[in-house]
Amino acid sequence: MDPLDSSESRLVESANAAENTESSLPWARFSSWLECVCVVTFDLELGQAIELVYPHDVKLTEKEKTSICYLSFPDSYSGCLGDTQFSFRLRQSVGRRGSWFGEEDAYSRDAPVTLQRELAHFYGYVYFRQVKDAAVKRGYFQKSLVLVSRLPYVHLFQSLLQIIAPEYFEKLEPCLEAVCNEIDQWQSPVPGLTLNLPVMGVVMQVRIPSKNDKPGGSPEKQAQKENLLPAPMMLPTIHELDLFKCFQSFLIHLQMLWELMLLGEPVVIMAPSPTVSSETVLALVSSIAPLRYCCDYRPYFTIHDTEFKEYTTRTQAPPNVILGVTNPFFIKTFQSWPHIIRLGELKMSGDLPKQVKVKKLAKLKTLDTKPGIYTAHKMFLQKDKSLIKRLLKGIQRKRPSEVQSAILRRHLLELTQSFIIPLERYLASLMPLQRSVTPWKTPPQIRPFSQEEFMGTLEHAGPQLTSVLKGDWVGLYRKFFRSPNFDGWYRLRHREMTQKLECLHLEVVCDADLLGWTKDKSEVEIVDLVLKLREKLMKAGKQQLPVKEGVLEKLEGYLQTVISSLPEDLQTVLHRY
Amino acid sequence: MTLRELKVCLLGDTGVGKSSIVWRFVEDNFDPNINPTIGASFMTKTVQYQNELHKFLIWDTAGQERFRALAPMYYRGSAAAIIVYDITKEDSFQTLKNWVKELRQHGPPNIVVAIAGNKCDLSDAREVSEKDAKDYADSIHAIFVETSAKNAININEVFIEISQRIPVLDAGGGAAGNGFKLRRRPSETRTRTCC
Repeated sequence: MDPLDSSESRLVESANAAENTESSLPWARFSSWLECVCVVTFDLELGQAIELVYPHDVKLTEKEKTSICYLSFPDSYSGCLGDTQFSFRLRQSVGRRGSWFGEEDAYSRDAPVTLQRELAHFYGYVYFRQVKDAAVKRGYFQKSLVLVSRLPYVHLFQSLLQIIAPEYFEKLEPCLEAVCNEIDQWQSPVPGLTLNLPVMGVVMQVRIPSKNDKPGGSPEKQAQKENLLPAPMMLPTIHELDLFKCFQSFLIHLQMLWELMLLGEPVVIMAPSPTVSSETVLALVSSIAPLRYCCDYRPYFTIHDTEFKEYTTRTQAPPNVILGVTNPFFIKTFQSWPHIIRLGELKMSGDLPKQVKVKKLAKLKTLDTKPGIYTAHKMFLQKDKSLIKRLLKGIQRKRPSEVQSAILRRHLLELTQSFIIPLERYLASLMPLQRSVTPWKTPPQIRPFSQEEFMGTLEHAGPQLTSVLKGDWVGLYRKFFRSPNFDGWYRLRHREMTQKLECLHLEVVCDADLLGWTKDKSEVEIVDLVLKLREKLMKAGKQQLPVKEGVLEKLEGYLQTVISSLPEDLQTVLHRY
Repeated sequence: MTLRELKVCLLGDTGVGKSSIVWRFVEDNFDPNINPTIGASFMTKTVQYQNELHKFLIWDTAGQERFRALAPMYYRGSAAAIIVYDITKEDSFQTLKNWVKELRQHGPPNIVVAIAGNKCDLSDAREVSEKDAKDYADSIHAIFVETSAKNAININEVFIEISQRIPVLDAGGGAAGNGFKLRRRPSETRTRTCC
C-alpha cells in the first residue's frame, strides 16, 4: 500500500466527517462566527435590558447579560444622537462550559496569532440608535443591536451591522431570524480562503487571513482581479481599522504609544465617545502585530463592568490592561495610573489635525482635564521624524486615509519586526541539533532562555540591522522581558518548538528499524515500546502536529506488526487498550 | 467568454415549492420533506448561454407571512424574479398577483418576471387552469411555465428563458450590468451555496 495514498484518502474522509458533524449540530455554522445576537433596549423601570437574544436557546449567564446590557449603551455623558457603532470586550463567566472549539482546532492552527478565537472573552459589536420618538415615554427611541462573538473581526462585523441593523430597527424579529439563518448557511471561517457571505440580499466577500501570509503583503489585491460583476460587497479586510483616523490626534507620539503597547503598560484612553474609545484601543492593540497583545484590553469600559472593582483597586499597582472609557468620573478613579490619554473632539490647526501634548501626571487633577498624554514614560527609542513628516505632508496633499493607514501599518510592522527578529533568531539557536534527535531516546530538551545570553547577541545581530532608530534597545528588551507580552510570545514559541521536536522525533522513529530492535528484547520492553508509541501517536493526532505526510500511518502500521509478533494473549490485551 | 452575475429572487406563497425548484435546478434533487425556509437561502449556479456564462445568484425567500416585509431586500437589485404558485391552490395564484403588484410598485424597473405554476404533476387536483394563468402572464409580459420540481419538468427552462430576456450586453460596455472578461476558468459550471 502506498502510504501517501492512504494518508490522502484519510484526510479527505476526516474532512468530510468534520463537515458532517458540523452541519448536523443546530446552529453549528452560525456559532463558528457568532455566539449570539442581542437586542438591548432602555426600559423606564429596569434601565438597560435585553429585549431579545437569538438563537433563543443560547446560554448567557446573568452576569454576562448584565455586562452586555451596560456595555451596549453609550454613557449618559455622550450625546450620540442618531446611529453610533462601537465595540467592547467582556470576560466570560467562570465555569462557563467551554465552546466546542478546542485550542487545537484547525482554525487556531492556521490563523495568525492576532486573530485567534477568544477562549475566555467575548467581543461585542454594537449598533446603537438614538432618535427622537414622541411615541416613547422618555421621548427617545434607544436601542442597540449587538453581535456577540469570539472572533476579533471588527471590520467584518461592523460592516455586517451596517447592513442588518437599519433593517432590523424597521422590521424587527423576523429580520433577525432571517439574518441568523443566513449566517448559519455561511461556510465556517478557514484561514487563507476567500469566502462569499450572503446576507439580506447582498453577498459580502472577505478573505480570512492565514498565519502563512507574508506580513505586510496584500493578498486581497489579487482576489480583486478575479472579482465578478456585479461586484459583491468586497471587504478589503476583516479586522483592520483605519489606523490613520484612529491615531490622527497623536501621530507625533506614535512611537511612545507603540512602546507602551509592547511593554503591556497600564493605559487608560479617555475618549469623547464609545466609538473613538473602542477604535483607539483596538488600533493600539493591533499596533504591535504580528506580536500578540497578551494583556487584557477593553475597547469600552464602564463603571458597571464586573471587573471595575478589580481594575480600580488602589491597594495594588494598576493591572497590565488598556481600558477605553468615556465617563469623566474615571479621571478620579484612575489618578494613580501611570499613563492616561485624554482625547477630545478632533481639532484642526490649519490643514493639520491638532496634536495632543505630553503632560505631567500631576496636571491630571483638575476637574476638566485637557486633551493630552499624561505620563512619566521615558521613551526608549527616538521618534521617527521622517515618518511624521511624511504623514503630515500626506495630509496637506490630501492623500487618502487608506494610504496614510497603509504607511502607518507598514511602519509599525517594520518596527515590531526589527524588535522581534533578534529574539526569534536567538530562540531558534536554543533548538537542539537535528542529529541529536534519535529514535531510542526521548526528544532532547530545548535550552532555557537566558536573557544575558540574548543581550550578548545584540551587538552583532541586534535591531540596528533592520531599523535606523537609535536609542536604548537593550533597556526596551529588559523591560519587555517583564511584560505579559514577552511571556505570551515565549510560551507560544516554546510550544511550537516542542511540537516541532516531537515531529522530528516521530520522523526518526518512523525511519528506524523498530522490528529489528525488538528481536533481542524482552516482552516487557516491547510492550513498553508499544504503549509509548501509541501515546505519541495519540498526542500527535490530538495536537494536529504538522508531521510529514504518511509518517503517522506508517508508524501505526509498525505498531500493528510489532503487536502481532507478540504471543496471542498479549496481543488481545494490547488490542483492547 | 463573458461571465455575468444575475441576481434572481423567488417569491410566492408558503408551500408552493420555491425551495424545491431551486434545489432541483442547482442540485438536480428533490426532497418531499423539505423544511420551510426561514428568511431566505442563497445558492448559485452558472450556466452557459450563447457566448456568455450566466451565474445565477439565487435568493430563495420564505413564503411565510411573517417574513413578508423582508422581501424588498431580496428583490432589490434583482435581474429577475420567479414568482411561484401551486396549480392545486387557487389562493396561491391570488398571492402571486399581489407579488406582481408589489414588484411593479417597488421592484427594480427592468426586472424580468417569470411565473411558475408548480406541482403540474398533480393535475388531478388542479384549481388554476393553465389558460387563465397564461393569459394573465401575457397581460403583464411575464414568462410563463408550468413546472414540477418533483418530476424535473420545465425547471431548467425557466432559467433559460430568463437568460434570453436579460438585455444583451452593449459591445462598448456601456450597459448597466457590465460583464467581466473571464480568464481560464471554464471548469466552473456548478457551485453550491457560498464558495
